[in-house]
This record gives sequence, C-alpha cells and structure tokens, in this order.
Amino acid sequence: MADIFVNKAPKELAVIPFYATAAVFFLLLSLLLCFSARELTGHYFNPHILAIVHTAALGWGTMIIFGAAYQLLPVICEQELFSTRLAFLSYLLLTAGSIGLIVCFWIFDTGWAMIVSGSAVVLSSYLYAFNIYKTANDTNRSQIHQNFLLISAFWLCFTTTVGLLLTINLSYNFIPRNHLDILKLHAHAGIAGWFLQLICGVGAKLIPMFLLGKSKRNWLLHTALILQNLGLIAFLADGYFNPMHVRMYFYALLVFLGTLCWLLYIIDAYRHRARKKADTLMRHTLISLVAQGLAFGVIPIMLSNHQTKWTALYGTLIFLGWITGIILGKTFKTLPFIVWNKRYKNLNGTAKIPMPKHLYNENLIQYQYYAYIGTIVLTCLGIVVDHRLTIQTAAILWIVIALVYGYNVFRIVFHQNKSFLKGDEACVI
Amino acid sequence: MEIKLNNPYAQEELKAQVALMQVIDPELNVNIVDLGLVYGVDFSTEGQIIVRMTLSTPHCPMGDAIEQGVLNVLRQTFPDRTPSIQLVWEPEWNFNMISEAGKEQLNLL
Repeated sequence: MADIFVNKAPKELAVIPFYATAAVFFLLLSLLLCFSARELTGHYFNPHILAIVHTAALGWGTMIIFGAAYQLLPVICEQELFSTRLAFLSYLLLTAGSIGLIVCFWIFDTGWAMIVSGSAVVLSSYLYAFNIYKTANDTNRSQIHQNFLLISAFWLCFTTTVGLLLTINLSYNFIPRNHLDILKLHAHAGIAGWFLQLICGVGAKLIPMFLLGKSKRNWLLHTALILQNLGLIAFLADGYFNPMHVRMYFYALLVFLGTLCWLLYIIDAYRHRARKKADTLMRHTLISLVAQGLAFGVIPIMLSNHQTKWTALYGTLIFLGWITGIILGKTFKTLPFIVWNKRYKNLNGTAKIPMPKHLYNENLIQYQYYAYIGTIVLTCLGIVVDHRLTIQTAAILWIVIALVYGYNVFRIVFHQNKSFLKGDEACVI
Repeated sequence: MEIKLNNPYAQEELKAQVALMQVIDPELNVNIVDLGLVYGVDFSTEGQIIVRMTLSTPHCPMGDAIEQGVLNVLRQTFPDRTPSIQLVWEPEWNFNMISEAGKEQLNLL
C-alpha cells in the first residue's frame, strides 16, 4: 500500500561530495602513477607505492563506495539514511585523512601528521559503520545485501584500526610481530573484507536490477558471505601467529569459492534477464569481474614466486582492474539519478525534461570503456615484462581516462536545470 | 491498464491513460503505461481520481519521482478533480506486463 516506502532517496549532501572528490583522487592517482612508473614493480613497502595504494584504496575506492552506500542503503533497507550530517562528517574526515596520509606516505613523514591523518580515517570509518548500522537496524526486513554491507563495514573499521596501529608502529615500535606481516593482514582485511564483501553485496542488488534480471538462488549469496568470512578470519588468525605458509592457499581458496558462489548468482540473474543487450556501463562490470578472476589467479604465483612484480600485478588487478572497473561503470548508473531526482522530480510529466542518462556525455563513455580496456592490459603487460616505458605510457593513458571520467562526473554534479514546457515553449528554470 | 468501453467513465479513463503516458520512468526511459505499472484509474468518487499502480520494485529509488509525475499530469488534465495514488504490490509487477511498444523501447524483443 501507499505507506510502504517510496521516498527514501538520500539528500545530495550524503552522496555527491563523495563522487566529486573521488573523481579528483582518481586523477591524483593517475598522476602519482605517472610520477612513480619506474617504482611500480619494486617492493611494495616503498613510500611512493604506499602513497599510491592509499590514494587508490581511500581517496578513490572507499570515497566513492561511501557515497554509493549512502545512496543505496536506504533503497535496500526501505529506510531513510539515519543521519546525513554524520555522512557528511565522514566525508570531511575521509577527505582530510586521505590527503594527510597520501602526503605523509609520499614524503615518508611517519610522525604525528601521519597518525592524526590515520585517526581521521579511522573516525570516518566508524561514523560510516554507525550510520550504516543504524539505518539497517531500523528496518524489520533483513536481506542478504544488508548483511554484506554491515559485515563489510565491520571489516573497514578493522582495516583502518590496524592501519592506524601500523602508522603508530612506524614511530613507536610496539607491535610484537613483523611490521610487513601485519601490513599484509591489514591489506587483505581491506581487500577481502571491505572491498570484496561490499562490492558483492551492492553488486548482487544492482547488477540484476540494471539487467532487469532475477535469481531465486539466494542461498548462493549466503554461502558466499560465509565462505568469504571464514577464509578471511582463518587467514588473519593464522597470519598473525605464523609466517606465510602453504595453508594460505587454502584460505584464499575459501574466499575464491565464496566469490564463485556470488558469481554464480550473478550469472543466474544474467541468464534470467529481460534486457538482452548489455550497455557499455554493464560491460565495464564484466571487465572488472575478469580482473578480479585474474587477481585470484595471481595469488598462487605471488605466494610461490617472490619477485615483487607479481605483488605489483596483484595490486594493479585489484585496484585498477577490479575496483576501478566497477566504479567507472556504476558511477553513471547511480550518480545521475540522485542529481536528476533533485532537479527534475517535481517537473516529471509537466515539461520536457532530460532523463538521467542525458546528464552526461554518453559518447565519452564509449571512449572511456575502450581506453580503459587498453590501459589496464597495457599496465599489466608492462608490469609482467617489467618494461618501464610501457608502464609510463599506461600511466599517461590513466590520466586521460581520469580526465574523461572526471569531466562526465562534474558535468552531472554541476548540471543546470533545463526543461521545456509542453508545446515546445522554451523555458529554463 | 485495461479500459472497458461500457464503463461510464471510459472517456475519462482514456484521457487519463494518454496523460499518464507522459510520465516516464527515469530509470528505464519508458512511460509508466507501457511499462504496465498502472493497474487502473478510478473516477467513481466525485471530485477525485484514484490511480491504482505499482512500481517495478518496492525499492525503486525513482518511486517518488514517478508518483510526482502521476499527480502532476492528472492535476493538469483534470483540474476539477483531486488525484491520489494507491500503491499496490499485488499483483507483483513482472516483465510480461510491459506492452509490445515498451518492450521495443527496452530492446527486449
């Protein structure tokens, strides 16, 4: 009936700043890649690589995921977002913390500035988790997508907290374990806990929605959630007390099988879709999934071969392949709607108004897609053959992609109302 | 949306159907009549119009915009009546409810 949820779209302030800032961080990421192309295949514990990874993980990936989650959670939970103010505060803290951390890593200033920046990121993640928990907790409906979001928020808090402890450990050595071993745990809590489970939860909701597809095999999602968490917890517990061991293959396999279950759910929804032709934005998602599969494939090579380039390839497939791929596609499936809702909701039916897809340049999406495929392939190739010029060329192409993407994002964000009264009498509101 | 010509309000219903075709689902870019979201329009209460309709999903983030569109076009078309919406989830909307024209626009054929 009519009292069932309809109007739960979040306020712009809880979403748009994240998208806009993430686009700037994406450009920064590609610039940093360009400046450090020759260091990319070296050891990951390098100031510039640490700065690049945190730009990708915090400024780019986490920033946009916060915005998308604040937009999507009310839709999933059929509840308004608990607090827009807290959402905006988490934005301010994440932005300030990310900038501080990136600068501190780049110049490798391990003092108070790094600790304060890390604390801002931790606080931001706690605010996010609290907001998500309070929003999800207000509803009687419990969906598997909700559980993915809540558990991923826990892993985010875990990751940022361990990260903060690691930054303190750089100045005041207090962790009784090897710093680099704990760094691996920190990284994988972020990758398999935060990013993987968040993307699985959101993807399981959005991908079928965009394909007009359905899957009744919800048990696959439940299995995915259990296996991914089992694998991750076992990895963290074992990894804390023991050095890297052959058992790590088994934990990675558990996470892989969990992700495979999620993929089977998506394939089932794809098979039962009404919309036969996938658009360019959905094809971005496909490339992202291929990169994710390849990243899993690199794990055994990375564990058995200690050449640093395999770790670089793994990180590239994760951040520039899987996470970037899904963001490049999904941005234009989500951001235009919130802007359109604000600008045109009340004019619907009364005037000729643009549709959400008219808020950005669709032709550029095509170029972005092909440039993205070429660039990710070139980057991986450059890393595998350890060829500096190839990596440098790819880094320049990343700048082009970031500019194209940023242009479209800001075109949406700064969109001015345009409408025409019925009868073609021009009227700009 | 089915209109029975022997219904005393058939003419109004036809007029309402044409008006409702101006309301576009911004997500799918197809009007809500061709999408099969409108189940019926009731003119039997004097001074009122009650639209019985659904959304493609209960979680539809564009639901509010669609409702607003329905109210906008009906107010314009029938200024002497007050429109209201009865949102229902039974029968549940499915792809088979999309008209041939809607399927063509969505590339479902």
